[in-house]
Amino acid sequence: MHLPEIDKYSHLQSYLHSWDPRAKITSFSFLILSIVLLGKLPVALVGFVLASALVLSSRIPLRFIFKHLRWVLLFVSVFFILMSIFIPGQELYRFHSLVISQEGLQKGTLIAVKALTITLLIFPMIGTTPFPTTIKALEGLRVPHVLVQISAFTYRYIFLSIAEGKRMIIALTSRGFERKTDLHTLQTLGKLIGMMFVRSYERTERVYQAMVSRGYNGEMVTMNEFHLHGGDIGKAIFISLLGVILISLEVVL
Amino acid sequence: MHVADGVLATQVWVGGYVATGAITAFCLRRIAPEQIPKISIMTAAFFVASLIHVPLGPTSVHLILNGLCGIILGWGAYISILVGLTLQALLFQHGGLTTIGVNAFNMGVGALAAFGFFKLRGKISIRHRDFLFGFLAGVIGVVVGLISLSICLLTSGEEFLGVVKLALVAHLPIMAIEGLVAGFATIFLMKVKPEVLR
Repeated sequence: MHLPEIDKYSHLQSYLHSWDPRAKITSFSFLILSIVLLGKLPVALVGFVLASALVLSSRIPLRFIFKHLRWVLLFVSVFFILMSIFIPGQELYRFHSLVISQEGLQKGTLIAVKALTITLLIFPMIGTTPFPTTIKALEGLRVPHVLVQISAFTYRYIFLSIAEGKRMIIALTSRGFERKTDLHTLQTLGKLIGMMFVRSYERTERVYQAMVSRGYNGEMVTMNEFHLHGGDIGKAIFISLLGVILISLEVVL
Repeated sequence: MHVADGVLATQVWVGGYVATGAITAFCLRRIAPEQIPKISIMTAAFFVASLIHVPLGPTSVHLILNGLCGIILGWGAYISILVGLTLQALLFQHGGLTTIGVNAFNMGVGALAAFGFFKLRGKISIRHRDFLFGFLAGVIGVVVGLISLSICLLTSGEEFLGVVKLALVAHLPIMAIEGLVAGFATIFLMKVKPEVLR
């Protein structure tokens, strides 16, 4: 259990950091959409290079990015292996009854490149703005009000929940609990999770009363407003153009 | 059980967003404003609980807990899962961005099925009823999600048949783990704070 830290480097200075998050999210979403639609490996590789360049220009340290690519790399490699084995086609390599086909290898590589490229784009898109500001920007993008509020509150309480979960696990460990593959472990974890929910449930009542007494009526009032400048639109056009170029390459080639 | 970007056919992930949009709109109308803080805090708890590793032989698995989410939050569970998955994709790069709709649908429908099943327990009286219904709700959450995931993969392309078969086998022990954890958590909640359960 580690704390969410995607916005750890949102205090740095770059053209991505100073960009209005609404324009940033919209144009990056368009770029992501164009990448997911690609079906040709060379074009997907161009997309990968563009995404890497955007990541580099965000000034977020590369060590941080590699650390966060673990899950997608695991998923992609499992998929890559399965696809190369399961898709029939021209035989490249045979090991007993396992055949690695050219078609499978191609399809597997395409999926891997696309998944990795889109994951890379999360860093310039989300990692360059403080996360609460990103959530607020969603409201400006017409995401339903209730969903935005639930996301904002959930994000706030994740930190508290992680701290509480860690404390409970330390308490268990100090009483000699060891996680094994047995019924006792599952029973203990079931109770631990039940206790987390009881505590959270009791907290929800206190929090709600505290919020109502401060005037909460289902609306959220915030102090900072967004202002869209010419530069924000220029950057949005630039990022969207990258998407248009990729789609044109896909159609032309 | 999440799918990353770039795997599914366009119709499938777009369909996932359409379905999730419709179900979310339906569920949003069924929750009152005073439930917003409750759903949020419980979503944070689910988010963290699903980070807990359970050892499984030489490896370990994460808990999914969508069945338990359904029996605690009811209609709010779909919204909770949608928000939880979005935060997971953005904060931990876990799952995909274009697949948020599909992933929320797979898990969310499982949660709603578990919720519907769990409501039946008032009509039945047998020994170990609470454990049994909690256990089955946990299993139903995974099974329904898995069936939905398999359909998504198979409509994306026949070449995914191998992946689907492997996913089904790999999820057998996960079903047992999810069911047992949900069952034990249900007994615990019935003893300590029954009003948490729907």
